Formats: sequence, structure tokens, C-alpha cells
Amino acid sequence: MTNHLIIGQYVPGHSVIHRLDPRAKLLIVFAYVLIVFLANNAATYALLSLFAFAFAALSRIPFSFIARGLKPILWVVLFTLLLHLFMTKEGDVIYQIGALSVYEGGIKQGVFISLRFLLLVLMTTMLTLTTTPIEVTDGVESLLGPLKKMRVPVHELALMMAISLRFIPTLMEETEKIMKAQAARGVDFSGGRFSERMKAIVSLLVPLFISSFKRADELATAMEARGYRGGEGRTKFRQLAWKPVDTVFLAAVALLFALLCLLRS
Amino acid sequence: MAEPILSIEGVSFRYPNQSDYAVQNVSFTAERGEWLAIVGHNGSGKSTIARMLIGLLRPERGAIRLFGRLLNDATVWEVRRRVGLVFQNPDNQFVGATVEDDIAFALENNGIPRLEMVERIREAIRQVHMEPFLHYEPHRLSGGQKQRVAIAGILALRPDMIILDEATSMLDPRGREEVLETVRRLNRQQRITVLSITHDLEEAAKADRLIVMNKGEVMAEGTPEQIFRLGSKLERIGLDLPFAVKMGSRLRERGIPLRIGYFTTEELVEELWTLYSKK
Repeated sequence: MTNHLIIGQYVPGHSVIHRLDPRAKLLIVFAYVLIVFLANNAATYALLSLFAFAFAALSRIPFSFIARGLKPILWVVLFTLLLHLFMTKEGDVIYQIGALSVYEGGIKQGVFISLRFLLLVLMTTMLTLTTTPIEVTDGVESLLGPLKKMRVPVHELALMMAISLRFIPTLMEETEKIMKAQAARGVDFSGGRFSERMKAIVSLLVPLFISSFKRADELATAMEARGYRGGEGRTKFRQLAWKPVDTVFLAAVALLFALLCLLRS
Repeated sequence: MAEPILSIEGVSFRYPNQSDYAVQNVSFTAERGEWLAIVGHNGSGKSTIARMLIGLLRPERGAIRLFGRLLNDATVWEVRRRVGLVFQNPDNQFVGATVEDDIAFALENNGIPRLEMVERIREAIRQVHMEPFLHYEPHRLSGGQKQRVAIAGILALRPDMIILDEATSMLDPRGREEVLETVRRLNRQQRITVLSITHDLEEAAKADRLIVMNKGEVMAEGTPEQIFRLGSKLERIGLDLPFAVKMGSRLRERGIPLRIGYFTTEELVEELWTLYSKK
């Protein structure tokens, strides 16, 4: 098989950002998402943008890749911009088209909110672009570790996530196979009215579900046969290593936070 | 002769809510280093036996002894460490995100320290000749390669016995040969006991000893030669005789003086081309 299917949108690489500990990346992105809401003037937004673009530049991922990730939300951003442009009535009137008037506050608000939206998506996209899903899983498991004391089944959740990720390509292959098999029996997946197409989808989903349950059952048996008995007494092959550079990046986020607090009006 | 590595005494089993026994009063033993094949048609109870051997199912009656110890709740985890089971579907036993993760899975379950894990994974991957694929995801491997990874996952635990439960039935001929060749090598070089459960008599022909199951009971037991002499009896219980065996008996019926015995394809070819010069 030759299809190098990439789950999520991970772009392989060896940049500083790629090599950051997934825990550090998760914390950075999470903190960033929170402090974005502190910004309320040009200086703070400039600072946030600077950080995000520096982060993106350090990943050495071609801008076209990142842009592709941002494309789906472009319409939402545009819509927000227009909405704020016409609905906010603050400051001086700048422009007037018939009954619609654009205020100075509207432009400011529209640009800020759209920018906030873009920055949020940019940073979260950076996480998925530079981290494999399995690394994200490891990071989440490690970060949520303390919750084990509160009886949250962290290990089980992480394992569920890892197995789901592992089976995505398998199920996609299976879907393709079933689609071909059904098409050979005369099912038309592309044409026809909406209701007809829905009916065709059912002929795909039912076999897919049945085989997935069968898979799950067999996988559970195989896991048990291989000595799986829950997280207790289990060692881990994948190990995360916190490096000085991870601390540096977290410190940068802390600095960003401090500056935002200082500069916001 | 040393104590058998595996002995089953009068084992019976039936699935919940069923009145018929899936396995009835089955007894046999396996010696260390032996290649034992259990053959039978679908529903003959052979896979049920495999599942009982590593404690996935509990026999209703009878006793299973592995390494001289009775299989029970106290010994089941040790048994699962020392006995590896390769299942039929290559995809549904691949747990890890990549080859190395999957080999590590059973090691993790057994609490092996990480440094030793790395060493054992390297050793295991070498034994199945899959070194270049260490970082591959399962969807980039063929069925035969996935089964070899499953075997590596077992080898990493340094097992005494490998059970193949129809492990080659979903593979193409090349994948099947790859897997069988790997297991054969391990059987010879490391004296790992192999229990191969199959409906393919061609595959079973290469075993040291055969056990034929029918409707949950042992119908016959013996060397491949003894078993293939049963001929049509095997066909009557739904087994397909290897081509060379069928061909051999047809030729004998026609009065061609072949040596008595069963043949592998190579042996039959050898016998046929030397036949003429003997005359």
C-alpha cells in the first residue's frame, strides 16, 4: 500500500516547535487561548500576533500548509467582521451607505474580534500541525495524571484515544471496500435525490458498524491474550522528556501574559 | 521423555446458552520444541481449545496443565506471558500506533522496565526480519507483515510456546509462506513449541504431529503420514486433502507404482521424475 495517510494534519519536521514536549505545547496553546481574551487595544493585539507568528515561523512549516488549515474559518471571520462593522454604534460615523452607517468603534471592534479568532485558530492549528496525534495523547495522559487520584480513568481514556487513532485508517479502508462492494451491487452513492442518497449511506453504515463491533470484540480478546489487565503495574514504552527549551517556551508565554496585563487599557 | 510442556486431560467446554459441547472430552499433550497441528473443519472446536489454553475461556470439566502447573486464576498471567497467541485477523490484534508500539504493548502489560523494552523490541524485530519497518503504521504493512509483527510482540516476551489460531488463513500465499517460514525458524532454532490450529492440511502437513478434531472431539492423532492415510475419512469431515496427497492416491488407483506413503508437492515431483528411470 502506498497511500501515506496522515491522520489529523501533522506535517513531519524537526523544528524547535516539533521537538517541544507535547505537554509543553499543550500548556502553551491552552494558556494562549486563555490570555487572548485579555487583549483590548492595538498594542496588546500586536503583541499576541507577534507571538503567534513567531511560533508559526519557528515551526518552519510552509505558510501554504498553515493557510490551508485556516481556510475553513475564513468565512466565519469575514462574517464576524461585517457583523461588527455594521452593528457596533460607537465613536464617530466614518462612512454611510443608505441606512447603514459604519462607526469608528465598529471597525476597531470588527478587526479585533476577527483577529482574535484568527489567532486562536492559528495557535491550535500549530499544535496539530507539529504534534502527532499519539504525542498529543501521551501529553494529555501525562497532564491529566494527577486526576487519577480523583478516580478519573486517565489511562483508560488515553488508551481509548490511542486505539481510535490507530483504527481510523483501517476503518477508512474498510469504508472504501464496502462502498465498492455496494456500488458493485448497484448502489449509487453520488447521484439521485437527497432521500435516495441517505438510503445509500445506510447500506454503507450498517455493515461498517457491524464489522466495527466485531473488530472491537476481537481486539479486546487479543489485548487480554497479550496480558492487558488495566493500567495497574504497567510500564510505558513512550516516554516524554521535559527539556530546558520547554521551560523557555513556557516562560515566554508567562512573559506574554505579564506584558498583556501591563499594556491592556 | 521429559515432562510435556502442555497437557490437556478430559477437557469439555460449551458456550453459554448452548446445550451442545463445543469441545468434548479432549485430551492430548505437547512436548517441548514440538510442532503440533490441530486440524478440523469450522466449528470443530479447535479455536475454542486455543482460547482455553491461555485462559480466555474456562473448561467446564477437565484440567489444563502448562509447564507442569495447573492453569487457574493464579497462574493465568504467567501463562499469558509464556504462551503467545496469534489470531486470524491481522488488523484486529494490532494495538499500537506503530510497529514498535505494538511490540511494546505486551511488554508494557508485564511491567518490563523501559530500557529493557527497547533492547527486547530490537531483538524481536530482528528475529522476524522486520527491522526496516520499526516506525511504520499498521496501514502501511501487508497482512503477512502484520502477522510477523504479532509474532515479534510474542517473542519480545521470550515465550515457550506460540499458538497460531488460523493465523495464515486471511493471508495471500506469499504472506502465508513468510509467516510459516518465520515460525518454522523459531521452532527449529529456539525450540519454541508451536501449536498450529488450522483447517489447511497443506500447512499441517509440515507439523511433527497432527490432531484431527471433529465436532468437538479428537478423531485421530498421529504423524502426518499416519493421518493422510485416512484419506477420504478426512474429506468426509470437511477437510481438503493437499493436492500432492490426492494426486498420489489417484495415481496409485491407476496402477502407477508409487511408494506407499504421503507426499509433499516436492516429494511427489521427485518420485514422479525418478519413477521412469527406475523401470
